[in-house]
Formats: sequence, structure tokens, C-alpha cells
Amino acid sequence: MTDILRSWIGGALPDWLIVLIAYLLVTTIVLFYAVGNFIMMVWAERRVVARMQDRLGPNRVGPAGLLQPIADAVKMFTKEDIVPRNADRWVHLLAPIVALAPVAMMLAVIPWGRGWEPVDLNVALLYMVAVSAVSGVGLMMAGWGSNNKFALLGAMRAVAQLVSYEIPAVTALLTVVILAGGMSLLELPYMQAGVPIMGATILCGDPAGCSPLLYSTITSFPGSPNEPVQALDLGLGWWVFTPVGFLGFLVFFIAALAEGERTPFDIPEADSEIVAGYMTEYSGMKFATFYIAQYILNFALSALAATAFLGGWQGPGVAALANMGGPWVHVAAALSAFYLLAKIWILFFVMIWLRGAFPRLRVDQLMDFAWKLLLPLALVNIVSASLMVGLTQWTSAQWGGLISLDGFAPWQRQLIAVLVTAIINIAAAYWILAINQRPKQVEWDEEELIAAS
Amino acid sequence: MTTEIQTETTEAQTTRGKVYVIDRGRTKLRAGQGLLTGLEVVFRHFRDALTRKLEKPSQQTGVFTVQYPEERLKLPEAFRNFPILLYDDETGQELCTSCFQCQRICPPQVIHMTQARDPATGKPVPAVAEFLIEYDACMSCGLCAEVCPFDAIKMDHEFEYSTDVHGGLTLNKEALNRPISYYEKIAPTFWAEVKDSAMKKLQGNMKRRPDLIGVAPQMVEKIRAQRAAAAAQAPSPTPATPEAAPADKAARLAAARARAAEKAAEATPEPAPDSAPIDKAARLAAIRAANAAKKAEGAADEVAAPATDSAPTDKAARLAAIRAANAAKKAAAEGAPAAGSADFASTPSDAAPAADAAPPASGMPADKAARLAAIRAADAAKKAAAEGAAPASDAAPPASGMPADKAARLAAIRAANAAKKAAAQRDGSEE
Amino acid sequence: MGQYQSPCLVLCMNTLITVLFLIFAALILTSAIMTVTVKNIVHAALWLISSFFGVGALYLLMEAEFLGVAQVLIYVGAVSILILFAIMLTRDLEGSQNRQLTPRWWIALIVPAALFGLLIVPTVMTHAWQLPPPPPAGQPPAISGAQQIGTAFMREYFLPFQVAAILLTVAMIGAIVIAFEERERRRRVLTLVEQVRLRQRQQQRQQPAPRPEPAATAVQTSEATGGET
Repeated sequence: MTDILRSWIGGALPDWLIVLIAYLLVTTIVLFYAVGNFIMMVWAERRVVARMQDRLGPNRVGPAGLLQPIADAVKMFTKEDIVPRNADRWVHLLAPIVALAPVAMMLAVIPWGRGWEPVDLNVALLYMVAVSAVSGVGLMMAGWGSNNKFALLGAMRAVAQLVSYEIPAVTALLTVVILAGGMSLLELPYMQAGVPIMGATILCGDPAGCSPLLYSTITSFPGSPNEPVQALDLGLGWWVFTPVGFLGFLVFFIAALAEGERTPFDIPEADSEIVAGYMTEYSGMKFATFYIAQYILNFALSALAATAFLGGWQGPGVAALANMGGPWVHVAAALSAFYLLAKIWILFFVMIWLRGAFPRLRVDQLMDFAWKLLLPLALVNIVSASLMVGLTQWTSAQWGGLISLDGFAPWQRQLIAVLVTAIINIAAAYWILAINQRPKQVEWDEEELIAAS
Repeated sequence: MTTEIQTETTEAQTTRGKVYVIDRGRTKLRAGQGLLTGLEVVFRHFRDALTRKLEKPSQQTGVFTVQYPEERLKLPEAFRNFPILLYDDETGQELCTSCFQCQRICPPQVIHMTQARDPATGKPVPAVAEFLIEYDACMSCGLCAEVCPFDAIKMDHEFEYSTDVHGGLTLNKEALNRPISYYEKIAPTFWAEVKDSAMKKLQGNMKRRPDLIGVAPQMVEKIRAQRAAAAAQAPSPTPATPEAAPADKAARLAAARARAAEKAAEATPEPAPDSAPIDKAARLAAIRAANAAKKAEGAADEVAAPATDSAPTDKAARLAAIRAANAAKKAAAEGAPAAGSADFASTPSDAAPAADAAPPASGMPADKAARLAAIRAADAAKKAAAEGAAPASDAAPPASGMPADKAARLAAIRAANAAKKAAAQRDGSEE
Repeated sequence: MGQYQSPCLVLCMNTLITVLFLIFAALILTSAIMTVTVKNIVHAALWLISSFFGVGALYLLMEAEFLGVAQVLIYVGAVSILILFAIMLTRDLEGSQNRQLTPRWWIALIVPAALFGLLIVPTVMTHAWQLPPPPPAGQPPAISGAQQIGTAFMREYFLPFQVAAILLTVAMIGAIVIAFEERERRRRVLTLVEQVRLRQRQQQRQQPAPRPEPAATAVQTSEATGGET
């Protein structure tokens, strides 16, 4: 963006102003993109859930009810802003802002398309997690500032849920960090080129005979000793197709559901129990701000899940178009942006689907689920991911002579790694599920119990 | 998922009461299998809801939404919302006899009515003069419809009554009236059950209703026109039927009433300002006379026998015509001094026809007099029609070659119509 | 943006960085002062969060991205939330509007100031300060802060790292032990299922003939979540 602006108005303005304008423009575009998606998501959620319940959903305002979110927005704007008399005015006012701002900040580091990255932060993954944790403070402020029991209860639940599900989420993301060898989100889609399961390991035998439409140059690993290679690239080497990535994706996505307060983890705002949780005392645009924050959080988490495990903007045809050079690069960028958007929306559809299917969990079930199922799975997955990296990339010297795979071709090593990790992951999943499923052996001192009853 | 689950219930006593333990046996579901089944079910609903509508409950999936203003469910026959009143399609006679049963039983007491009275005798008539129901307080219990002995009040299917007019949900008789055919359409079997008895009772009540009392307000014009047409097409004399006798009697009764009215008009000494009621009474008498004549005709017509007028009928009719003319004249005479008053100024047509009919017909033979009266009345009617924008068909010039009695009858009718029309106009302006 | 670097970009960026530093420093100081002076303890905690955030921003400004983000994650995201939780769960603290500054505030001032001086003075005296740090000329830029820190943890500072880890584990186990002790002191309330089973056992004891126990008597538990009532 800066470069484009420079080429257009390079001489007219001082350089720092151009940089500033470029950043502002990018920020504006990203925020509009997110809010536009938010509007569509609200509409889509209502329509899709309606179909799942054999209804039609809003279909009166505009064609197919598409203008319904706008009608809702108008309603929100015209509603009275009510602050409870004994509420803490400033905390009450700041809470929605503190809830929304970090969520909006999350959007900055996501690569929206090939070459469309607002900011390249080398700790982007950690940044996403850290910033999303900040919105918990906003929820806490909302709950406390409202001076309302339900609000406080909702905030407590929200924060407890946020804090406990951050751990499986981060642990699941650690697998990505191990696989990628870094925390930059920018690199992730590039690394997920190739073909399903095998990744970018099917190399081109004869550099002259390989069509740039099928093969592309891939640096498999930043900092790895391997040279860039020509590998078969269908844009489908997503990590979700490997056992490690699959388990990681499952754990992360479930944790993301909990962080985004989606059903079945919508305990913080369980309408049937505590009115609307921390949002109870909010009306008008302040309420809408929470609403926006929630949807954009879901949007950003879907984008993160898509980027980390589903190849981000990677998809069939992107690399081929980019290899053709010239104006086709822009076409490739547009196509890649479309791929990412499609993945986000598919994930969002799954969220709606789950909402349509499952009832809300109980608080103890929620905690059990995080600590007894997701976390062990994610921990095992870290071991698998380390093995995966070791088996595919380490030399025998790095293994300390324990295992020597130097003689094998990359695709053979990949196959071995996939098999090994698959066995580990499946065995671990079985074992952990079995532990959790085993009926609890109730031990008691009978005499005492009889005395008690 | 097809998981055979055998349930076994055992009973146990605890400190917190009796507990039933349902032993479901070991389920065959693996971890997560139930969740996936749930997802599959929901997805099936989603997919089917995109493609089809739910036609019958056994279908289980598909959109069941009814897009209300465009689509409507067929209401069951027994659906009830608010009560309505029924009237007969042909005769326009209302089924209600104002027996007050519904008013008494109504739990929220939203039904109000007044019984119709014969204006001549002041006696109650089995018909309702005004009927009010406050729909806004009605609780749709349907007791009024159940209690009604004449099947006159029924529960309607219409439910779109929302309004922003305060008091707009207090409905009068005209708004409550529905033809029987309407009710037959919405509740065919219910009506079929009560039809015969209801119609029989109606026939009985109709006989006790003078003139147009008991005719649904929206049907009055039509019925009158029908009667006029029927009277106009009455065929030439033929052997009398037994039915002619009551008709004759009725005509005579009407004449008597007209006379009474005349007397009343004479008796009233009050001039100008109070002339209105007298005038009205006179006109009413004329109308009655005309109606009586018509009824005689109508009755004869109704029997479908080649209706005829026996001599007495004929005579009575002529008499009635004369009386009508006289009454009109008198009214005119009394109305003339008051021509300056607002009432009369607004309806000059009222006084004019009567004045035209002034020359007394005392010395003439009855027949001639009648014809004269008829012509005058017809002229008056024409004038009135022209001035009052009344249907001109009434005012067709009388055929000179017509049989005297017929002409007389026609004249009487026309005179009556003209007078009534003028009265209607006048009433309207009075209100 | 990478390769193209006009002179103004660097210069103006330096000015901008200075300005930002001043803003963040002001934020941190204001928040810290408000934390200790404000009467409402929840407000104090919120000011503390703001202060933490400012510190994180300062780290980012120094291009220590990992540290900055970790600061936000741990202090803003976790520690401050815990503080808020603790405050809100403690009824006495929340309601009171105690003055934070006691008459002996000067003691509180001297002791931390002395400790802070003890830390900062030797550092200031021995370190050659250059602000902003000169860009590394010639050598390739560092791969990432995260990798350097990771390597450092696993190589140079392996022992401290492990000791810290053990300390945290011990603390966690201790917390669990305390929590369990507390739970044990509570009077045991049987669930209905347990009562039923207890009855069954008693009956079995009375009737010597052992009855085969049903496979899964219990209220059905959710299979997938593994949740147990």
C-alpha cells in the first residue's frame, strides 16, 4: 500500500505522511472488511439457524432479508442509552470500548490474501492470543461497572471461561509454531503449499521439465538447512490434512468456540439463566458494540484457525497464477483472498451448525472438557508435532545418531512422519476418551455415610 | 443411530424420597457419536428446509413457516373469533329477534341491543333496532352463539381487526351483519345442521315484522327496489288465491294506519318548527299505504300463483293511494308556512310534490280520482326524483291505457317512493 | 515497505518514536500514581492494567515484540484478571473506600525508592546508553525475538528456567492441596445415585446371596464430554 501510494503521489507529500496515510488506509479497509463481514454474519446466522429449525428467518427487509442488519443497526442507534443509577459511570462507559478495541487489533496481523498483509509481526500468533485475552478485562469491567448481579455473574463466567480455554487454544497453536518454526502468521500459508497429506514433498525431478503451473519454489522451513525446492503445488498442503494438524485444528476450533462464546459454550450470556450476562445493563449502541466485538472476535478466530490449519489463503490455482507473473499476481491475490474468506465462512457455518445442534454446557462440564480432554490432547499433539518436525527435517546429527533418515526422499520421510504421528494421536485420543468415559468408581466409607444419612 | 437400548426401571428409597432408577443398559454409542448424530439431524433439517416446504407433519423436515399476509392457513370450521349477525340473502331479513339471550349470557357484557318497535302501534316487534358489540372487550368465548335460539349470532373467522381508531372496535348492526351465504361458506356443516330450523323460525318472525323493520340496513335499498319491481310487473287480474286475503288485510291495515297518521297530522296544531314530525308521520303513513299495497302484490307474487288483485284489494289500493296523496298534501300544506326553515329549505322537493297533488279528488269517481292521484303522484315522484337524484326508473310516466287499478297501484307506489325518498333525504339532512 | 528508505523516514520515525515513548511513559506514570492514590480498589486494579499495557507498548516500541506481547498476555490477560477476581470475591475489600495513603506514606516511598535505586544505579552507571539503538549494520536482521529467547532459555539460562518452572509447579500443587483440604472439611452430601447404591449395598449385606450388579446404574451421563455429575 505504501509503495502504491508512493508511486501515485510520491512527490506531492512528505514521505512520512505517505506512510501514515497508507497505514490509515489499510486500517480503514480492514475494519470495513470486518464490519461488512459482521453484518453479513448476523444476517447469515439468523437465516441459517432458522433453516435448521425449519423456519425462514428474517426475509422481509430487502431482498431475502439482506437489509435486516441495517434495520437492526438503525434500531440500535435510536435506542435510549441507559446507565443504571448506581453503576460506575466511567467503567460502564469504557467497558464496551475495551472489549471491542483488542478484537479489532487482532485483525491487523492476519494475512488476508497473497501479499495482502496489513502488518508483519514475527510474534503474530502470540499477539493474537494475547490481544484476545485483553477483551476479558472489558467484560470484567462491564460486569462490575453495571452494578448488577447477573452482569457480574456473567462477567465472572466469561472471564473464567476465557482464561481456561486460552490454555488449550495456545497449546494447540503451539503445534503450528513447532511445525512452522516461528510465530509469524505471514509465513503460514506459504508453508501450507503442496498436496494433501504429503505437503510440499513431491519434488520435481527435472527442473526444466516442470510446469510452473504445477510446481513452485517452496522454502519448506525458515531457518531450515534445506534449500528452496521445486515441489508439486496444488495449494492443498494444509496442515489439517496431517494427523498433527487435524488434532490441533479440532482442539483449537473448540477452544475458539469457547473464547468466542458461541453455543454450546455460551455460558457467560446464558439468557435462560442470567439474562444476558455482562451485557444485561447495556442498551443501544453500547450493547451493539459488545455484539460487534463478539462477532468480529469470531471472525478473527475463524481467520486464525483458517490461517493456522486450513492453509489460510492457500488454495488450488493461487500458486500457478502467481507463477505466471505480471498482472496475474493480482488475480492470484484476489483468488487467495477469496479462498480465505470462503474458509472463514465455512468455519462460521460450522459455528452456526453447532449452535443449531447442541444445547449449552454446564459450567462443570465446560471446565472438565477443557482440562480433562482438550488440554491432554493438545499436549500429546505437541509431542507429535515435535516428532513430525524431527522425522521430516532433522539430520541424523540432530537426532544424535539415534535415528537416521538421511537416505530417504522427502516424501518418504513425510509418509513415515504422518504414520507415526497418526498412530500416536489416535492412540492418545482413544486413551484420553476412555479415561474420561470410564464410570467413576465411587469410594466411600460406608459407616460414615450411613451415619450421615 | 440404531442403538438398541433396553430400559429397566427400579425403585429405591432415599432420604430425599422415592427414586426411580432407569437402567438404560450399556449404550453402544462411542465418544462423540451422539454429537455427530445430532449434527447430522440438524444438517438434514437445514438441507430440506432449503428445498421444500413441510406439507404434512409426518414429513418431519422442511420449512413450516406460513408467510402470513400472503399465505394463510385454512381455519377450522369451529374456529371462533368475534360474533356476527346473520341475515337472509334474499329477503334481507335479519335472523335476530332481539330476545336478549346473548346480552344476558355475555360474560364481559359487551353485547347491547334495542328491540325494534312498530312505529304505528309502539308495540315491540321480533326484530332488532340496533345491536352493538364491543369487539375490543369481547373474549371470544362463543357463548352468545351457543345460546342464540334463532341462530342469528355466529362466531366469525375474521381476525384482522387492528385499528388505531379509539372506539373503532365497537360495531353496530350494519357492521355486524353478514349474509347467511357468508356463514355457510366458512362453516358449511355447522350451518347445514341448523339451517332448516333457523329458516323456519325466520319465516315465522318475518310475518310479525311490519314493513322494512328487521331488514338488514345494507339490504334495505335493494329489497325496496325488488319490491317496487315486483309491484310494477304485477300481472293483470286473474282469479284470486287464498293468499290474497291476508295481503288484502294488510293493505287495509296499512290504510287504517295511514288514516291514523292523517288524523295525527291534523290533530297536531303546532305550525312551522314542529311541523317536521307531523310531516314525517304523514309521509310514513303514505309509505305504509304504499307498502301495504305492495305487500298485497308481493304476497300474491310470492305465492307464485298467477297473482291477481281481487276487487277489495284493488279498492284498498286505490284508497291507500288517495290517502297517501292526501297525507302528502296535508304535509305540504303544513310544511308550506315553514318553508323558510332550514329543514325545508334544504329539501324543497319535499313540499313540492305534495303541493302538486293538492286538487282534491272528492267529486270524482273513485277510479278517475285514483288515476288522477296516480298521475299527480307520479309527477311529484318524478320531480322529487329529478331533484333528489333518485333512480329515475321509478318515475316512468304512467301509461294512460293502463287498467285503472293498476295505474292506481303504480301511482301509489310511486308516490310512496317519492315521499319516502324525500323523507330519507330530509332525515339525512336533519341528522 | 522494506527496501525504500528515504532519510526523512528514518529521521521522522525517530521523532515519532520519541513522541510515542513520551506518551507511553506518561501513561505508565499516571496509571501507576492513580493505582496507589485512587480510593476505589477496583479502579486501582483497572489503573494497574492500564499501566501494564503501557509497559507492553514500551516493549513493542523497543522492538522486543515477544516481550511486549508476553507482557500483555500474562499481565493484562491473566494476572490483572486474577487480581480483579480476587478483589471481587473478597467482599470487604470491594465495598470499602479506604484511603490508600496512610500518614506514614513516606516510609512506603523511601523503601521502594531505595530498592529501585539499588537496582537501577549500577545499571545506569555501567551501561553505555544510546537511544535509539543503532541499527545492526551489515549483519542480517535477527530471525525473531522469540527464537532468541527460546534458544537462551534452553541453553544459557536452562537452570533458572527449570527452577522457575518447578517453583510454579509447586505453587500450583500447593494451591490444589489447599483447595482439596477445604473441600474435605465440608460435610459430604450424597448424590441420589450414591444413595441408591448405598441402599443396594446394604440390602446385599443383609441378603447373603450376592445379586449381580447392573452394568450401568446411573443417571445417564453425557458420553462425549465425559462429564460426570
